[in-house]
Amino acid sequence: MPLDSARIHDVPDDLLAAIDYCFDQGWTDGLPVVPPSVGRVKKMLQYEGRPPETVIASHPATGFECTVHAAAVNAVMAGCKPEYFPVVVAALEAMNEPDFNFHGSTASTGGSAPLMIVSGPMADELGMNSDVNLFGPGNRANATMGRAIRLILINVFQMIPGISDKSTQGHPGKFTFCIAERSRDNPWPLLVEDQDYPESVSSVTVLAGGGFCNVENHGGKTPEQVLGSVADAMANYGCITLGQSAVVLAPEHVRVIEAAGWNKTQVKEFLFSQAYRKVDGMKSVGKYRQREYDKQHADGGTHPLVKGGQLHRGLTPDDILVIMGGGDAGGHSCFIPSWSRARSSLMQSKPIGVCIDCN
Amino acid sequence: MQLYDPTVTGPERNFARAAALGDLDGKTVGILENGKLNAVNMLRATADLFEQRHGCTIAPVYSKSNASAPAFGETLEVAAKNVDFLITGLGD
Repeated sequence: MPLDSARIHDVPDDLLAAIDYCFDQGWTDGLPVVPPSVGRVKKMLQYEGRPPETVIASHPATGFECTVHAAAVNAVMAGCKPEYFPVVVAALEAMNEPDFNFHGSTASTGGSAPLMIVSGPMADELGMNSDVNLFGPGNRANATMGRAIRLILINVFQMIPGISDKSTQGHPGKFTFCIAERSRDNPWPLLVEDQDYPESVSSVTVLAGGGFCNVENHGGKTPEQVLGSVADAMANYGCITLGQSAVVLAPEHVRVIEAAGWNKTQVKEFLFSQAYRKVDGMKSVGKYRQREYDKQHADGGTHPLVKGGQLHRGLTPDDILVIMGGGDAGGHSCFIPSWSRARSSLMQSKPIGVCIDCN
Repeated sequence: MQLYDPTVTGPERNFARAAALGDLDGKTVGILENGKLNAVNMLRATADLFEQRHGCTIAPVYSKSNASAPAFGETLEVAAKNVDFLITGLGD
């Protein structure tokens, strides 16, 4: 049942006029939306077992609350099918964890966007793309679920570009930033397995992601060569901070790494050990801060791989999320830095459509 | 056609401004820095002006652990006991 208190707008029975009405109300991300008719919202709500007035996320500064109903309205506007809705809800619940800090990561000049990574059987069940053109257009589930999160930030939490979203430049992922982890021909345990969720459960992981950095390497024949180029991207002067990282390895790169018998733990440890800048170098570009160095090096360091005189990206290898994604052909992986040099947002995950250890 | 409104109504908040100080002369000024690169420098320079112009005493610096989140309540409680007014800013 819809909320009695939900506000309803009567508009003419003209779809194009209704789309224009949504533009006029300031309810869009700049692109046309699906008008949130009462019937479509009701269908969306059928995929959530909790009452529509249930609050699933709250803005810590303004007190705005996102109910199941409000999320459903925006999911309709984004173009989601009803069966996508549990993913949107789970992503919001992950973003609502205090350590994700969705207010800061959205409002900041840093200009991040919530990167959603769906892992597990639901990715295929929903027809998500984990393959060719992973971050590009062409897949309804990827495109609309990520867009729903942006519309909720704009409409429910009033994170309005230019007003309360003060991104200096932002990036295209602020329209939508949602991918699936590729399971086909993946030699490693999936992310959802690493997260220790029960078998057959899927998860969504959110990371306040900065811009996308392509890592091209068609000549690397060893893990050290391939991952060396990834680590170099992670440690570029523009990106290096104590923040977390998402690394999406192309199947072609994974094949090189797996052929040498490396597992994901080895990949993370290699990347962490190699993604660093020397203190003198950090000083040369004006980015060195003693406070950050001390945070990484005090009391023997945050990890045995931390070396004196070097500032590594992140605090430990587990600050690097590694998955496989993309098409079979091409030596193109990517690195996505987390927002905030001070680790003000940490990635979070939630199971999709199920409640584990809930009261 | 009936459309649901995708926005929500904000909660009513009971915030009230603190009473303004009658004057600044001889008061203790606190600094709440947010950890940004130039925050302490900028706020210290501002506090120095209060010292020069109004004879203010500058209290020890209070810090936020996260620039984009509210200060811990305990930090503000301690500051409230020790200063007459607090200055803060971004300092990026």
